[in-house]
Amino acid sequence: MKTVVSVSLGSRTRDHEATLSLLGETVRLRRQGTDGDLDRAAALIRSLDGGVDAIGLGGIDRYLVVRGRRYEIQDAARLAESAKLTPVVDGSGLKDTWERSLIESLHREGAIAAGQRVLMVSSMDRFGMAEAFERLGYSLVAGDLIFASHIHYPIRTTAELEELAAKLLPSWVKLPFHQLYPVGEAQVADADPKFREYFDAADIIAGDFHYIRRYLPDALAGKVVITNTTTPEDVALLQARGVSLLVTTTPVVDGRSFGTNVIEAALVAVSGVLPGEPDWPEVVARAGLQGTKRWLSAHPQGEIS
Amino acid sequence: MTLLEALEKFVSECNQNQRLREMNRDWTRRIQLEPEDTGDLHYLVSDAGLVSAGRGPVENPDMLIQAKEAILTAVFSGQMTPTEPYNAGELLVKGHQDDIMRLDILSLLIWGE
Repeated sequence: MKTVVSVSLGSRTRDHEATLSLLGETVRLRRQGTDGDLDRAAALIRSLDGGVDAIGLGGIDRYLVVRGRRYEIQDAARLAESAKLTPVVDGSGLKDTWERSLIESLHREGAIAAGQRVLMVSSMDRFGMAEAFERLGYSLVAGDLIFASHIHYPIRTTAELEELAAKLLPSWVKLPFHQLYPVGEAQVADADPKFREYFDAADIIAGDFHYIRRYLPDALAGKVVITNTTTPEDVALLQARGVSLLVTTTPVVDGRSFGTNVIEAALVAVSGVLPGEPDWPEVVARAGLQGTKRWLSAHPQGEIS
Repeated sequence: MTLLEALEKFVSECNQNQRLREMNRDWTRRIQLEPEDTGDLHYLVSDAGLVSAGRGPVENPDMLIQAKEAILTAVFSGQMTPTEPYNAGELLVKGHQDDIMRLDILSLLIWGE
């Protein structure tokens, strides 16, 4: 059995273990939060190095891939370099390939429809998803400046997103990560609905769950949420707010959808192929990954997984 | 280039840029710049997105930026990103994190790639 560990900058309250079958092998998955403590995360990676088959970086991206250009977050690079033997991955290799395909698949099967209004709470970390929405004819609002920087400026095209990324990311990747993204206890703070107008205006809310949860408004009746890393408590929260359909981009195991870093680490562990290597797209395709759709309110199609 | 000239250039770029005007339409702040070496105070003021600058103190500043005058001049003229001196401890900013981030964004959108 292969073993992978996701070392997360997120809260330890979300720690869990599970097993998953991938490419005919069973993989033991473990998530260990470090409450936003980079030094503790680095020490944990060092202690795991050589003792597990792959390590995922959770709660932090190492690479942001925007229209083929890759920006490397320095805090994440330092974490990854703490391991000398075991491969360390961050999920960006899956986001750029699999999440794009997932949107196309949801569109083909009619779970979502062209012309719907999409709020992506963050897009620079999920550019493939944003590109898929735009290409398929959805009305896109990328909320990167709204949710990360609290500036009321919706980005409406991937071209502008690309332009802003080119101006901002070369400098931002050098900042302490906690300035860019909620880590540790900030991830479990009470929701602040101050950006409700953007949620209200959208039919589909997509992207990083921590941003969604942190700014979750009271009512999301009839809306579709496309995200990952949800726990059973998160699902109940979305159901209570009236969400119609919850799509998690990674498989649900024991009621919990894992981060892309965990699934990517599991794929690396069983295949020996790293993201970016020529065989990676084939490994992802062969894995037959399935997102999970859960109708949270009454729907004629009933429960679909 | 003097600090005042750098600030005037920064102000001009902000006010002529439609995107920045839109981003700052709800942003009204007073920013005091305090060169550590010369003590020659300067200020930036954003009034609902219309930015102005000058020499001297500003009343009840929302943000205080301290650095050597050469660093402040370099940052506001686009010769240096704020991140470099900030990470090196050569630029001290006191204020709300959101305002610090916004000022960083403004300078990067004006002077970035």
